[in-house]
Amino acid sequence: MPEQMNEEQLKALQEKIKQMSPEELKEFQKKQCIFCQIIAGKVQSKKIFEDNIAIGILDINPANPGHILLLPKEHYTIMPQLPEDVLSHLFMAAKALSNSMLRSLEVQGTNIIVANGVAAGQRAQHFMIHVIPRKENDGISFELPQKSIQMDELEKIGKKLVENLGSKVEDKEMPKPFVMPKKIVEAQFKEKPKEKEAKKAPIKKEKKSIEKIPKSSKENIDLDDIAKMLGVK
Amino acid sequence: MARESCLVCQIVEGRVPSAKVYEDESVLAVLDVNGANPGHCFVMPKEHYPIIEQVPDKEIGKIFNVANKISTAVFESLQAQGTSIFVANGIPAGQTVAHFLVNVIPRFENDGINLLWKPKQLNEEEISTIELKLKEQAKNIGGFEKEEKKEKLHHEPIAKMPAADEDEEEDYFSRQMRRIP
Repeated sequence: MPEQMNEEQLKALQEKIKQMSPEELKEFQKKQCIFCQIIAGKVQSKKIFEDNIAIGILDINPANPGHILLLPKEHYTIMPQLPEDVLSHLFMAAKALSNSMLRSLEVQGTNIIVANGVAAGQRAQHFMIHVIPRKENDGISFELPQKSIQMDELEKIGKKLVENLGSKVEDKEMPKPFVMPKKIVEAQFKEKPKEKEAKKAPIKKEKKSIEKIPKSSKENIDLDDIAKMLGVK
Repeated sequence: MARESCLVCQIVEGRVPSAKVYEDESVLAVLDVNGANPGHCFVMPKEHYPIIEQVPDKEIGKIFNVANKISTAVFESLQAQGTSIFVANGIPAGQTVAHFLVNVIPRFENDGINLLWKPKQLNEEEISTIELKLKEQAKNIGGFEKEEKKEKLHHEPIAKMPAADEDEEEDYFSRQMRRIP
């Protein structure tokens, strides 16, 4: 990391950056990137997973204990820059790490999050996938508001995206809106449109046993054990 | 393997109308009418898998590459300042439908979406314990490419549990999904 610079040096640097070709810029970013230094082993980290393409380390500012940052070894800033095979590899690893969390930490869920751009909350210059273990009432409250979007605006957006993607989607009139179940990302769920269906499904017997899940369970709990607690034979 | 009661399967089959933006033989992407921002899309496998752990690796690659294409399109054609890729896996993580899907959300400054967190402080001992536990579980991760070619052969090393447990696992999560709060 560079030392504190005075204003002149900073200006000179900004000017230099402007002049750089994309290749030079990538090389420059790489040198400045703390995660590239972690990958190179110059900065210490708690590695959970590593192969020739990716590395998974514990986040030093975790949302929850066990929060993993999954990074490509190559320096990319945002997701659109990733080659298809690297992207596939990374998300396969994310799935496997999520699975590891469910099996080894006493958690009942995971979030997989990517932030592209500052507006999305990206802070590091190195592309990364967050894999976050979740349990009920863990203090995390992600919020995805449900905005009502005008049908004509939606139609415009749909057309733009279809055009950009070159999708072979039938050009039909915009359908009437369907409403996905409310997505307030908290442990409590007040509204659940699916409940009615669920009630009809033959799961009434399980309902009681589900309520019996002990709040504080032992360490090293396995999905298998959780299943047993639910009364699955 | 579509499920009668699954809303997402009904969308895939066209029994519930949707605004499709991308479709191929195994992946579908639709606009969320009540999105977190205009242009919010769901990317989903056509096959019914309640949680990500059940989605085969090969499909994971496809789904997230489609998500990336949409994210790129969102940047280019909606002039978004950023995109969020968000997966909720399991009830405590905020999953509300028992069909794995990826949210691609266009982002703008001060758009009222919160996908940030307050860091938790852990002591050295807690960190070491977690590191050991996760490392032990994660040591068999790998062989993704091989898995694509010889799917069955490379199935075991990923998880140490016997294959027979998978059904129970699915049951557990499907039930969790349908749990009445």
